[in-house]
Formats: sequence, structure tokens, C-alpha cells
Amino acid sequence: MPSSTAVPTVSPYLRDPDVQLMLRARDGDDAAFSELVVKYQDRLVGLLGNMIGSHEHAEDLAQDVFLRIFRARHGYEPNAKFSTWLFAVAHNVACNSKRSKVRRKEVQLQPAESGAMSVNPQEQLVPDKSGLMPTRLFQKKELQERVQQAMLGLNERQRMAVLLHKFEGMSYADIGAALDMTPQAVKSLLSRARDNLRSQLEGFVK
Amino acid sequence: MEKLTRLTTEQRENLAAYLDGELDDDATRQIETALAQSTVARNDVEMLARTYELLEMLPRPRASQEFSEKTLAVAKLTDVRADFRRSRWYRATQRGLRWTGWAAILVAAACASYGVARYRLPRHENLLLDDLDVIQKFDRYEEAGEVFFLERLGRDAALLEKMTEESGRAIQ
Repeated sequence: MPSSTAVPTVSPYLRDPDVQLMLRARDGDDAAFSELVVKYQDRLVGLLGNMIGSHEHAEDLAQDVFLRIFRARHGYEPNAKFSTWLFAVAHNVACNSKRSKVRRKEVQLQPAESGAMSVNPQEQLVPDKSGLMPTRLFQKKELQERVQQAMLGLNERQRMAVLLHKFEGMSYADIGAALDMTPQAVKSLLSRARDNLRSQLEGFVK
Repeated sequence: MEKLTRLTTEQRENLAAYLDGELDDDATRQIETALAQSTVARNDVEMLARTYELLEMLPRPRASQEFSEKTLAVAKLTDVRADFRRSRWYRATQRGLRWTGWAAILVAAACASYGVARYRLPRHENLLLDDLDVIQKFDRYEEAGEVFFLERLGRDAALLEKMTEESGRAIQ
């Protein structure tokens, strides 16, 4: 194998200001870590809230994500955008939480104030075709619950990919980096996810 | 393409990527051609886009006021614990405990070996005691000779009688 001349490679991610903050945190600058927490806390809580379907628990998970980041700071290397790393950790934490919650049968939406949901959410998603129930009858909250149900109907990867794409504006390549997939696989994943969402929600599209 | 022709599986897979602006030029052109020619395809893409818009309805909870403060406090506490684990005396104690553990295991193994050797393995004296009966009759056994001779003697009454007479004569 020919010996390659040692060229100092500079990580392209060093231009990411959050990576710079994380590097400062690595070197013991707590204020830099604090800045990262403040910057990402709402995004992370929002993402995890929709990921696990429980907004109360989302804050605990978000804290867990930040603590993992904090504990790992000594070995931090800028191999990706900071947000990619953060969301990869968040995905891992959410999946673990989901598994343990399933065991405890705690995964559920907020108890519907608007009335009892039937056992099969798919049945709930079929709009009334009698013509006596106009689309407008679905108030915002109810529609929100249908959308939440539809999201929870996706598998974990699909849901995370949709949330990252929709709310974080991440490219397929970045989503792939966060979920350890190729951009091509992300394309298929998002396509299936959107097909699933469409089949569940098309009755509510104006 | 017929107005009612549906998209192929591949085209359908590309549809979402088309909406997201993630297709290369060729694939984009193909999708746009398909959309221009098929009403069904246009409807499909429209539905996909509108369904995706519905996700705006999802709640976006925000972190509580004290979230960052709480998180940083817990992180520092974790750090203090980690520092405690990294401290010199903690590591020395841990190392000492590890050696003590190994020493305890060795002592236990030695005791167990002694016990097995002392109470379980048969000793030379015990073997002699077990065989005392044989040892006491050893001279007679030697006189009797081989086992097959004794067996023959047991089966052959004439031989036994003859030998008894001979031994009687020898004694006289």
C-alpha cells in the first residue's frame, strides 16, 4: 500500500458555529454548553414530543439527550454538524424510551377531551361520507389529534425522518447521517412515510 | 401518457423527493413530464403536498422556563460525580478492592482444594483398611494359585476329593 503523504485534514464541520460551541464545551467552557442547550431546547422538546406522543415526557428525554452530549464532550470530534449528532442521540433516546414505555403501556396520546377514541385509530381516520358531516366540523384540536395519530402510526424511523425534514428542514443527506442511512434509503423512507400519512389523512385534506 | 395513467412505483418514490427538491435534473425532468401528462399524477402530488402541510397542525411544545437551568445543574452534578470517580484516592480504593477481591477468591479456592483433598480423596491408609481382609488372607490366596484353578476345583468334585486326600497324607 503506498504511503500517503500526511496532509493535515481540517474537518469541514468546523465552520458550523454549533460545532465551535461544542469544541469550547469540550475544553471546559460551560457557558458554551449552556448556549447550546438554550439554542436547541425548544427544537428538541418539540421533536421528542412528537416522536413519543407525550409532551410531558419529552422534556425529560430532552434533558437526557443534553446530558449524554455533556458526558461525551471529552471525546467529542467534529465528524458531523452538531445538530446531526444531537438528533442522532435524540433518535436513540426516543427509541429506547419508546421500548420501555411500550413495556409499561404508557404510550398514549393525551386523553382526548373531545370524546373517546375507538379502539382502532384507522377507523377514526375514515371521514364520514354521509355528507351530513362537513369537513369544517373537525375543529382544529380534533384535526390535530388525527394528525398526531397518523404520525404515531408511522414507524420510529419514518416519524423521525418526517419530523427532521418537516420541522428541522434537514436534507436527505443530513437525515441519513442522523439515522445512519444512505440518502437513497432516506428517500424511500420518506416516500413510504408520506404515502402512509396520505392514506391516513387524505380524507381531511381540503 | 394517458391522462388517467398512474405513476410507476419508481416515479411515486421520486414524487416526495421531487416535492422536497432532492431529485437530480434528469429525475426532476421525468417527474415533471409525467405530471404534465397525467391528471392522476398531478392529483397524487397535490395530495402528497397537502397532506404534508397538515403536519403544521402538530403541536410544537416548548421547553419550560427552568429547563436550561435544571439541565445545566444536573450536568454539573454528573460532572462532579465523574470527577469523584476520576479522583486519585477513589481509583486507589477501587484498585485495592479489586486486589482484595482477587485475594479472597484465591483463599477461597485454596480452602476448597484443601477440603476436597482432606475429605473427598481416598488416602493410602484408608485403602489399606479397605483391603485388610484380603491382606490378612493373602498367604492362603497365594497358595490357592490362580482363580481359574479354584473355579475348576469348585466344579470338579473328584479333583477336590483327590486334593483333600493328598493334603491329608501330607499332614500325616
